[in-house]
Amino acid sequence: MKSREVRNTKFAYKVNLPLIIFLGAVLVFPLLWGICVSFTNKTIGGEAHFTGLKNYEKLIGDPEYRRSIINTVRFTVLSIALKTVFGMFMALSLNQEFKGRNMVRALLMIPWTLPNIVVVYNWRWIFNSSGGIANYLLKSMHLIDRDLVWFGSAGLALFTVVVANVWRGTPFFGVSILAKLQTISKDYYEAADIDGANLFQKFRYITFPEVKDVTILSALMSTIWTINEFETVYLLTGGGPNGSTEVMNVYSYKTAMRSMMLGRGIAVAVLAMPVLMILIGLLTRRMLPEEK
Amino acid sequence: MLQSRIICEAASWRAELKMKQNNTIKIRRKRIRIPAAAGRIYIVISLIVALFPIYWMINTSFKTEYEIYAKTPTLYPHTFTLDAYKYLLGETNFLNSMKNSLVVAAAVSLFSIMVAYPVAYTLARVKFKGRKVFSKAILFMYLLPTSVLYIPLYMLLAKLHLTNSIWGLAVIYPTFTLPYISWILIPHIADISRELEEAAEVDGCTRLQTMYRIVFPLAVPGIASTAIFTFAMCWGEYLYALVNLTSVDAQTFPVVISGLIFGDMPAWNQLMAAAVLAGIPIIIIYMLASSTLVGGRTAGGVKG
Repeated sequence: MKSREVRNTKFAYKVNLPLIIFLGAVLVFPLLWGICVSFTNKTIGGEAHFTGLKNYEKLIGDPEYRRSIINTVRFTVLSIALKTVFGMFMALSLNQEFKGRNMVRALLMIPWTLPNIVVVYNWRWIFNSSGGIANYLLKSMHLIDRDLVWFGSAGLALFTVVVANVWRGTPFFGVSILAKLQTISKDYYEAADIDGANLFQKFRYITFPEVKDVTILSALMSTIWTINEFETVYLLTGGGPNGSTEVMNVYSYKTAMRSMMLGRGIAVAVLAMPVLMILIGLLTRRMLPEEK
Repeated sequence: MLQSRIICEAASWRAELKMKQNNTIKIRRKRIRIPAAAGRIYIVISLIVALFPIYWMINTSFKTEYEIYAKTPTLYPHTFTLDAYKYLLGETNFLNSMKNSLVVAAAVSLFSIMVAYPVAYTLARVKFKGRKVFSKAILFMYLLPTSVLYIPLYMLLAKLHLTNSIWGLAVIYPTFTLPYISWILIPHIADISRELEEAAEVDGCTRLQTMYRIVFPLAVPGIASTAIFTFAMCWGEYLYALVNLTSVDAQTFPVVISGLIFGDMPAWNQLMAAAVLAGIPIIIIYMLASSTLVGGRTAGGVKG
């Protein structure tokens, strides 16, 4: 049997070699190279000189950078909380039987399937201060009496970014939780009915413990993506007004591509690494449970 | 961000599979009861919230530039016109950019499936030394966000003189598609009955033959759906395309769309027309795929 394992191992690495070589060259190597560059003053078209921790010191001393981190946290917490709640409701309502359920499910998935850039421009038009439908609807419901300049004030601009992100991201939570809901045995609920449990108790003691893991998994995953959100903010508000919605990645992009300081741009990503590593570590443990 | 399609799709396909299975086996399950009325109301609101913006996008794309800024927004185009589409396809670089996106996305999807299929197969089926570490590495790369990589990859492409060519993007995109496919295909392959493989082995098939001739055809529905999502991921990718492509000829459609915005009163009908042309094909493919592919797989009775 030993020789079989050796043969297996040989076979596996032989057929996996193309992927290992490719990702080694285009993912692992650039990643390590990038980390080295973050300790230099590399600019676009310029030579790199070792400058030690200077990029990092500059970043931490930069109020714009610190604000971008606060913005990222605020945006992420808000978005994830809303996506989790709406996604949970979506899953619970889709878990009931009704005619055309598969169709409704597919329709509710549409926001998720659209390219993000399409979603972003769609919302930018809806929230446009002249001609946008959002102002018109609010006015016709007499909630406001003057047109709001959505991208002109910090709170409203953050709101639009969150709306675009939540609109597109909710179906992900919805279907993930739904998949788990459908595996719960009806016996539990029948037993609970016999014991006279009310709706809330059934959710609290049967449904919630079953879907807790998948909800946390979805939230962790979505957190990684939301922390690293770029185009929703960049294309919707451009980080404005006055940098009030500028998130980490928009800052990184502006530093690296507009101010051409590649080294410092990478340093932004490297500083975010510890948080990402913790999130990825938590996820890995949950997604590979047999490896404890 | 672009990687955000990833896990949901898997979950979605699995949910769908479950539903279809439930339907085929005809088990009438009693669902969790939240008051039916509240559920229905929530569904109706969700449908409106999910679909209205898409309707509004289509609606706007058929309006005249005058009508989109009308004092009272119109619920349907009072003057129906294809001007926005005509301008977009005739006067801008949009059509060419759609072609670029199509070529990159198709080439990368094909390449990625070819390279990643053996990885998924070996992770699902073959016991080999270092499998755990290997699968962890794949998962790690799959979760790694693009923002960490975009600057180093820009430097790499600059060194290779591949910036400003769609082939530069074709080099970059597998950094997210390969780990994605390798990871997502594992359960699809693990679901396939082992008996056929064992029979094939008894009959003297080599492992390579088993992998391609026996398992691959059975995994085609899973592979096809994964390929569609891989395609969609590349199709709408923005950050890498923005950073690496400046020459007009090489741009993919997200870069061109974002370039259509200038001035205080951009032509929103043109922008929405671009959004329709870029978004609707993906919706149609998704709808078709979700109704045929997974259904076909269940109907094929993989599980006997």
